Amino acid sequence: MNKMSQEDILTAPLAETAPSSSPAVGMTGPLAAPRPERRGFWWNILSGLRSLLKGMGVTFRYFSRPSTVVTQQYPENRATLKLFDRSRTLLGMIHDENGFHKCTACHFCEKACPNASITVAERPKPATGKPELDYFTWRMDSCTYCNACVIVCPFSVLTMSGTFENSVFDSRLLIYNLTRYAGPTSQVLMKIADPEERKRMIETRGVFSGVPLLRKGGRK
Amino acid sequence: MVSTLEDRVRPPAAAGGPLSTQEFFINMGPQHPSTHGVLRLVLKLDGETVREVIPVLGYIHRGIEKIGEHQTYRQFVHLSDRLDYLSALMNNWAVSLTVEKAAKIELNDRIQVIRTIMAELQRIQSHQLWWGVLGMDLGAFTPFLYGFRDREVLTDVFEETMGARLTMNYIQPGGLMQDIHPNFVERVKSFLKYFKPKLAEYEELLGGNVILQERLRKVGRLEAKTAVSMGATGPVLRASGVAHDLRKKEPYGVYSKVAFDVPVGTMGDCWDRYWVRIEEMRQSMRIVEQLIDNIPAGKHLLVKPAIVIKVPQGLYYGQVETARGILGIFVVADGTGYPYRIHLRTPNFNNLWSITAIAPGLRVADLVAILSSLDIVVPDIDR
Repeated sequence: MNKMSQEDILTAPLAETAPSSSPAVGMTGPLAAPRPERRGFWWNILSGLRSLLKGMGVTFRYFSRPSTVVTQQYPENRATLKLFDRSRTLLGMIHDENGFHKCTACHFCEKACPNASITVAERPKPATGKPELDYFTWRMDSCTYCNACVIVCPFSVLTMSGTFENSVFDSRLLIYNLTRYAGPTSQVLMKIADPEERKRMIETRGVFSGVPLLRKGGRK
Repeated sequence: MVSTLEDRVRPPAAAGGPLSTQEFFINMGPQHPSTHGVLRLVLKLDGETVREVIPVLGYIHRGIEKIGEHQTYRQFVHLSDRLDYLSALMNNWAVSLTVEKAAKIELNDRIQVIRTIMAELQRIQSHQLWWGVLGMDLGAFTPFLYGFRDREVLTDVFEETMGARLTMNYIQPGGLMQDIHPNFVERVKSFLKYFKPKLAEYEELLGGNVILQERLRKVGRLEAKTAVSMGATGPVLRASGVAHDLRKKEPYGVYSKVAFDVPVGTMGDCWDRYWVRIEEMRQSMRIVEQLIDNIPAGKHLLVKPAIVIKVPQGLYYGQVETARGILGIFVVADGTGYPYRIHLRTPNFNNLWSITAIAPGLRVADLVAILSSLDIVVPDIDR
């Protein structure tokens, strides 16, 4: 870091200090600001009138062309209103057509979360003997939608998509459980041919079911 | 007669005389529309003339520096969005740049080029909002709507690639959070095509307007020496005639490979600050035009997101030129994945303080013009 005194900063011309190594730099030096012109009494009045008319001309140009209006009639246009694919709205867990997910309860998202909005609870008695997901608690009320959990997930289980109209009257309804069942991943479950056997290995979980496991701020 | 600065600066009337006046204190804010947030200015007034301005801070203090001590370097990026929320991407870049310098992470050209494009687009977006708000502060509501209309186009570009409109958390230490969207290049090109005539319209609507010119001309003059000693940076400093731009002086990203000019004011009044920002939009578009056609191929993230970046013990400082000036991040690292201490040198804090040197002697209505021309974002002052 080059040390510059106050005087240096004031006097140093821009073109000299900038690197001249690459030929692409077409340096023309700093641009100086033009000043608004003022002359005699009548000139000022006339130019002032002209500037006012010019500005009003812009307004009238838009007024006479309704096609330039960009206003969206929001509550009425719900049917046609589409968010972008990557829009960060609600956090969700991807379930396949059988209703199974790929989450192995690795806690990566929990560690990546900057404000303890995610709590991953493992099943006390896993059916396979390996860690299994029980509850995936997501606190929408403290989430900042930073997307860290989504990009950190090694199995791409999490996704930010859905609706942006999420207001509720009870703040407890902002604490979601994202998994639909407690049990092993879809890879383990799909190896089992018998559907009855599969059903025995999992327990159904609702969005607001169970007592949510919350971390009281801070880091584990 | 056109009123000049000399008319506006009035000496206090002699005490005991027939026209003797009394000085009194009055609050401007914390809930004042032209302070753009919760900022309180205590004014010492003599009639309509401002004798002294004392900014009072702390109404939106969130302790970001302290929270930063409990966040990994990657997590801290999302807090930097919330400093100066109108240049969120440049704030992200400042944190990433510092961490990369400290942890010695080398980046490829693709990341650098995309970062530069994003930063310049954000600069345009920030100045668009400033332009609209300036008009509104000075009593013209129409520019506000036009500014937001054009800003919306750019916000959609950001939303498509990053998924967020304001707090993007996009530039990460070691790369970018997501690769650019397939439509990105096309959208940016169509934006440039759309915005160029609009910028001429800005000049027609507001810049050419004689009322605006009279309210900005020779108002709030900031001398170059005062500006430097106050620590003002960005367009405020450049309008005072000091050609100090980090993009030229200490180039980061690919700024050393692109051609652009630095607009500099001649007088340091509100009009110069207005013009410098308008010209910066033009120069930013020039930079984006040079880069958008040849974004090199490569990976967008070089450090896996699950890895906690560890910074070796030491003191590190990194700075970038945001839309409002120099944002510096000072990190005291103790060798773990968490910073021991983070200090933020934010541009708005110093830019705001220059008002204490500018305002005395002017009128209250001029104070609004000065505040608007300084382009203050209050969360960046308090942080």
